[in-house]
Amino acid sequence: MAALQEKKSCSQRMEEFQRYCWNPDTGQMLGRTLSRWVWISLYYVAFYVVMTGIFALCIYTLMCTLDPYTPDYQDQLKSPGVTLRPDVYGEKGLDISYNVSDNRTWVDLVNTLHNFLAAGYSPTSQEDNVNCTSEKYFFQDVFGAPNHTKFSCKFMADMLQNCSGLTDPNFGFAEGKPCFIIKMNRIVNFLPSNSTAPRADCTFLPHYSNPLVAAKLLNVPRNTEVLIVCKILADYVTFDNPHDPYEGKVEFKLTIQQ
Amino acid sequence: MGKKTLEIYSVELSGTKDVEQTDKEDGKERYRGLKNCFHSKKDHHTEKLKKELDLDDHKLSIKELEKKYGTNIITGLSSTQAAELLAQNGPNALTPPKETPEIIKFLKQMVGGFSILLWIGAILCWIAYGIQYSMNKSSSLDDVYLGCVLALVVILTGIFAYYQEAKSTNIMSTFNKMIPQQAFVIRDSEKKTIPAEQLVVGDIVEIKGGDRVPADIRLLSAQGCKVDNSSLTGESEPQARSSEFTHDSLLETKNIAFYSTTCLEGTATGMVINTGDRTIIGQIASLASGVGNEKTPIAIEIEHFVHIVAGVAVSIGILFFIIAVSLKYQVLDAIIFLIGIIVANVPEGLLATVTVTLSLTAKRMAKKNCLVKNLEAVETLGSTSIICSDKTGTLTQNRMTVAHLWFDNQIFIADTSEDHSNQVFDQSSGTWASLSKIITLCNRAEFKPGQESVPIMKRIVVGDASETALLKFSEVILGDVMEIRKRNHKVAEIPFNSTNKFQLSIHKTDDPNDKRFLMVMKGAPERILEKCSTIMVNGQEQPLDKSTAEAFHTAYMELGGLGERVLGFCHLYLPADEFPETYTFDVDAINFPTSNLCFVGLLSMIDPPRSTVPDAVTKCRSAGIKVIMVTGDHPITAKAIAKSVGIISANSETVEDIAKRLHIAVEQVNKRDAKAAVVTGAELKDMSPEQLDELLTNYSEIVFARTSPQQKLIIVEGCQRQNAVVAVTGDGVNDSPALKKADIGIAMGIAGSDAAKNAADMVLLDDNFASIVTGVEEGRLIFDNLKKTIAYTLTKNIAELCPFLIYIIVGLPLPIGTITILFIDLGTDIIPSIALAYEKAESDIMNRKPRHKKKDRLVNEQLAIYSYLHIGLIQAVGGFVVYFTVYAQEGFKPNILINLRVEWEDSNVNDLEDSYGQQWTWYQRKYLEWTGYTAFFVGIMVQQIADLIIRKTRRNSIFQQGLFRNKVIWVGIASQIIIALILSYGLGSITALNFTMLRPQYWFVAVPYAILIWVYDEVRKLFIRLYPGSWWEKNMYY
Repeated sequence: MAALQEKKSCSQRMEEFQRYCWNPDTGQMLGRTLSRWVWISLYYVAFYVVMTGIFALCIYTLMCTLDPYTPDYQDQLKSPGVTLRPDVYGEKGLDISYNVSDNRTWVDLVNTLHNFLAAGYSPTSQEDNVNCTSEKYFFQDVFGAPNHTKFSCKFMADMLQNCSGLTDPNFGFAEGKPCFIIKMNRIVNFLPSNSTAPRADCTFLPHYSNPLVAAKLLNVPRNTEVLIVCKILADYVTFDNPHDPYEGKVEFKLTIQQ
Repeated sequence: MGKKTLEIYSVELSGTKDVEQTDKEDGKERYRGLKNCFHSKKDHHTEKLKKELDLDDHKLSIKELEKKYGTNIITGLSSTQAAELLAQNGPNALTPPKETPEIIKFLKQMVGGFSILLWIGAILCWIAYGIQYSMNKSSSLDDVYLGCVLALVVILTGIFAYYQEAKSTNIMSTFNKMIPQQAFVIRDSEKKTIPAEQLVVGDIVEIKGGDRVPADIRLLSAQGCKVDNSSLTGESEPQARSSEFTHDSLLETKNIAFYSTTCLEGTATGMVINTGDRTIIGQIASLASGVGNEKTPIAIEIEHFVHIVAGVAVSIGILFFIIAVSLKYQVLDAIIFLIGIIVANVPEGLLATVTVTLSLTAKRMAKKNCLVKNLEAVETLGSTSIICSDKTGTLTQNRMTVAHLWFDNQIFIADTSEDHSNQVFDQSSGTWASLSKIITLCNRAEFKPGQESVPIMKRIVVGDASETALLKFSEVILGDVMEIRKRNHKVAEIPFNSTNKFQLSIHKTDDPNDKRFLMVMKGAPERILEKCSTIMVNGQEQPLDKSTAEAFHTAYMELGGLGERVLGFCHLYLPADEFPETYTFDVDAINFPTSNLCFVGLLSMIDPPRSTVPDAVTKCRSAGIKVIMVTGDHPITAKAIAKSVGIISANSETVEDIAKRLHIAVEQVNKRDAKAAVVTGAELKDMSPEQLDELLTNYSEIVFARTSPQQKLIIVEGCQRQNAVVAVTGDGVNDSPALKKADIGIAMGIAGSDAAKNAADMVLLDDNFASIVTGVEEGRLIFDNLKKTIAYTLTKNIAELCPFLIYIIVGLPLPIGTITILFIDLGTDIIPSIALAYEKAESDIMNRKPRHKKKDRLVNEQLAIYSYLHIGLIQAVGGFVVYFTVYAQEGFKPNILINLRVEWEDSNVNDLEDSYGQQWTWYQRKYLEWTGYTAFFVGIMVQQIADLIIRKTRRNSIFQQGLFRNKVIWVGIASQIIIALILSYGLGSITALNFTMLRPQYWFVAVPYAILIWVYDEVRKLFIRLYPGSWWEKNMYY
């Protein structure tokens, strides 16, 4: 096989490159004359405008096919996730620890709860909602609410009794009996169970069982890390997905120091 | 003389200054090439060679020799002595050219091409993990896995490429070992046959006609021994060998026979004086193999392509690294983006695909008798612009054949095709009856017995070339010649010799009523005519007058001018009264008349061109390939063959032809009028490089005659100065420098020496020129098809890259993962891209000029731009539409996805709201993200099907090419779909692969885009066909 190597010096290459950038003989810049550049740019502009148009049309069509109230598929939300407030994450999952005697360690946790309740469950934010019968599903056939929506049930913070932050603004943190709010993720048209209301079951306190949403942990051992798992008990809520630790249950570590 | 002579044999192979050197010594013409090959630059080798050549074995007496080598010419060496010497000096074989150690070859595959980019990707992965780990001990191992996967990809493709290369090298090495050579040796006073490899210095060997000389041998005795030194010296005449010391020079003296030359006839006994690499030929061969293999055109093209893609990858990578950092992304994230961009940009499977494609073609070429040693040579052959071809055996059949007959004042043409089957000349004349009798009877050649079932033309004959030709000719026309000879019993014979220049025999006739003897004679036409007083016309004897003699001369000149060997035939019925049946003929005293005979006819023979060659030459011509004939033969014969095969076309003339036609002196002819030129070795010797360049540029049809193999090197260099890609055929050892020097060296499989085969890039198994042309066709096809493969593979890179760019800039959840990209590049796309190698040519690829090696690139601007910015972009849009569809139908409308990235990827956010207010945990989102990957993957796959179909052609409509002609394409499409189905539905449950089961309808979302791609490309091709040379073609044709 023969030599096909072209050895060029650096200056030669530079010169070639310069010539490529501007060729005075043919009036070419970067291999094209100005008019050629205009032509090719026009072509690309046209091409991309058309492509953008086609794309926009596709997305528009897609949006038209969507139901505004219910997603087409909910197969990936078979069972709702469960979250906890206050939510402080450690290296692995929720990890809440504070010192009863040092209020700086828990004032943030308390504030989180206050903010959470104020944002979604204060009387002002629940104004438009209607009162529903407890322990019963509230079905609506028509979009009676403003802006062609449906009504939500009223759920006020005071329904959480001594975890509402109204009677005890410290949510029990000060006395070592902290309140936690356990929240089930919202899924459109999801009915947790057929007749009975879903209940939360926290492993740490087998005897303590409370309807949603708040759990007050009464006798947590001090100075040790306690692993608490709160499960939602309902016909259609599963909590045994090995991949998803937040499906149908919430796990958290709690350390209360004194 | 000694020293001066030695200078002359020094060899140099890169020799650019060869031609400036003049012969220091006259009468050494035949060694000129050797000298030209050697040059002072190779001082090291030259010194060594000089030392070896200081041998004085040819001057020593037998006794001195016996003493020097510790042997005995009667008993030979003892086995123990021989074993010792063998251990000391190594086997008597040429060391194959030094090969790169396997491990180096392997490592080269590991870091070559894109591998280095992927290694960078892998290392970045590990660095990213390192950073993560130092910040958070429990960080996920995903990056480590990805790094390992990338490393694995590099290693696997490396192993694959290495395996492919090793396989193609193996083909060659097995080929080399096909015929082990045997030597007849005296050891322990016994005659033995041993493999030639085991010969040692001092062995006494016997050689006979037909053998290859097994080592450098000092002859001790010889009987009529002749050797063919052409492979060493280029001297085509057989050389007599004897035991006498005739010349000071080792190369000139008659008592040395050289390794690898052939003993043509006779027998000889000799002592081995040099073995293996220390033989003269070994030294030339080892020098030839010392020339490093430079890059092939396709290697340069691939490198160019790798540079383009790597350039795009690195610049986009760095650009987006900067963008990411300035968008306040963490450096860690920016590194991960960089990995994604690299992986998306690098076509991981492509180099493996190219290798497979080349080896597929190599296999196809092997079937057509072109054995390719170096895979890349497949394409080099396609870009060939000049072929320097041997004549004998390559362009011709390498056997004398009757071409013309002249009798009854008429020239008849005989069929010279390979099987002779179609002899149509008029056989009714009485003259033919007589002529055929002379041809049959005045002939000593015989078929070897036991070949009744073999076709006549393939039977083995004992006899010289002309007689063989005549024997076969008569056997074809008349049937059983041996039977005819038996019926016409031979009573006396004078064999041909160079003083008489005729051959004569006397026979009893097969006519029982005719008691006369028939004397038949053949020989040099002018000699035969001298002996004749009558001539036979239409079966009747007529007196030989001036006009018939004139006719004879015209015919003789005409046939001679065709480069044919002409024989005259005459006969005489001896009067029965003078020569009764009992008459005893004495061939020494010549007691019978040898004059006043009756002239019957002329018959001319030639080594005819192979029947496939003229077509092949025409093809070369239309393909813009210049065919140059380089032969050691006589200029007239060379020119005649060149004319008959079309190397010199029918209507073109040489300067000499014009001079003859116009009756003017050669000097007066305007050289521009001549298209053809016949140049002899002697003329070439006196030419300066400038003159040679001028010759090569000014004449389109050139024949070099009477050249030595060494002059081939000069011719090749001349052609390469014209920027041509030169293919050279060769068979002798001395051709090896030219074969090496050529862009593609082609060795003859049958006639070629091992050294030539070693130096060559390709071996022509049937020695047939036409096979080269098929090779050229395949080479051109593969270049076109590689273009298609690369265009196909590059397209989806944009569809893989865009998701990353959009992800960085717009903050969508990642549309496609790195692992998923690898599954496209190394999964669904592999078989389709190989399938394109089976695509038939769009138009007659042998009708266009050879590719200009600097202008016509494999990957040009148009190809890259069209793939990246047109089709690639459509694919990206199509992919995104599938992606958005999946997300929107699950609850995330496109508007909410924008800038969602940070929350989306935060594993601590487990209640992320979608457009419907539904809340998603991290894992639920992750699963949706994988569904998105799968959807985007399927989107690309579907559009790659369209891409595959449009890549079938570059200019013609798919419907002109035929949608179903290439079945392998459909295998490719099926493989794509099946692999995707398996990944989605079969492996959808393995979370590490990030595939999920996709709803059936999502497989069809991208179909409109696939159709759009097809339509767009058809429109592109339509405009290219409609407006050739237009702005459109310049920008859109790749």
